[in-house]
Amino acid sequence: MKFKSLRCVWVLAAALTAPAFAHHSFAMFDFNNTVTFNATVTEFRWTNPHVVLLVEASPKPGAPTQIWSMELTSPGNLTRMGWSRKSFKPGDRIELQFNPLRDGKHGGAFNRAKLLATGQVLTSSVRDAEKPGLK
Amino acid sequence: MQCSIRELMVAIAVAVALSAAAAAFGAGDPEINPPPQPGEWAALAQLPDWSGVWTPSLKDQDARMKSNPIPWNPAAAAAIAKLGAAEKAGNPQGLFVNCLPESMPSWMLITHNALEFLFTPGRVTLLGESDGNRLRRIYTDGRPHPADPDPTFHGHSIGHWEGKTLVVDTVGVLPETYIASSEAVGLPNNGDMHVVERIHLVGPDTLHDDLEITAPHVLTRTWKTTLILFRQRAKKYDIVEGVCLQGNYSEGKDAAGNAVFVPALQTEGGNTLPSDK
Repeated sequence: MKFKSLRCVWVLAAALTAPAFAHHSFAMFDFNNTVTFNATVTEFRWTNPHVVLLVEASPKPGAPTQIWSMELTSPGNLTRMGWSRKSFKPGDRIELQFNPLRDGKHGGAFNRAKLLATGQVLTSSVRDAEKPGLK
Repeated sequence: MQCSIRELMVAIAVAVALSAAAAAFGAGDPEINPPPQPGEWAALAQLPDWSGVWTPSLKDQDARMKSNPIPWNPAAAAAIAKLGAAEKAGNPQGLFVNCLPESMPSWMLITHNALEFLFTPGRVTLLGESDGNRLRRIYTDGRPHPADPDPTFHGHSIGHWEGKTLVVDTVGVLPETYIASSEAVGLPNNGDMHVVERIHLVGPDTLHDDLEITAPHVLTRTWKTTLILFRQRAKKYDIVEGVCLQGNYSEGKDAAGNAVFVPALQTEGGNTLPSDK
């Protein structure tokens, strides 16, 4: 089969990968394994269904930097834990803790981050607080 | 006036034909929703107070699926076992990655998100967060289900109050909507599903939705389960807009400088990758 143009390839590729988007299960993350390293925020996407934090880090001292992608719960759920769309900005230095992707790719489920400049800690587990009348 | 039997027969035939034609063209008075009367608004104050925002107990969802598993029929159970193994292995299929609504009944089974109830005359409305389209209209004006409802993601719901319990009957759900035990494990209901719910306060700020789900093509019996919700009154719990498809895009600029959504790069697992800068 020949594609008429590169555009075909892109459109087909987009169609083929589309079902893997967006509202996904978190089973792809290894919750028995926790990774911690210092990183620099490159992007913070405050979007449904999952907020995304992208960071640049050298997992081992002296190694070249890599981009790592952290998945979180929804903006609504995070707002109730004290987050906002301004919780992180590009350039922020953080100590990041997460459950890595099981396939070894550079991503994980966010656990907590400490902003190194202020010491502020942000966590994201929706299961930590389950009762009426939360403050 | 004297009419022959033959003339009478012809007249009857013409009348029947005219009536049919009139019905076909929609003549006659349409069914209407009458304007609510002051007494109906006042009567809402007698209903139990379900105001505030309700958050689900995820711990209870997790525990309940183990203690009270879905009674899948043998064919469904085999498929579920495969999905469960994939989830356990960390390469889940993901039931909602296409961003279609969690729908009935999965919204009431596995939601991670807040919801709220609105009471208006003749109706209870559920509004949810995330998915962009979590909305259930439960008619409490005494109407029956349509004889042959157009299937929808949340079905056709009618409700009535038994004391302080709202009893909801739902039919007309699309056969494609999932009965799910997690975001990665579940199967389509495959049609003819019937859901009965009894929604009631069990404490000042705890609400239970007791569900009875009958899905003859995938379940061996009616499955009874419960969704537990906790009331929140802090304003930071107010429901916020959540459009699932937004996650497929990042914010960018077009050639003219307009703020536009551009497709976000994502891996097969749905994990987001950095923008291509």
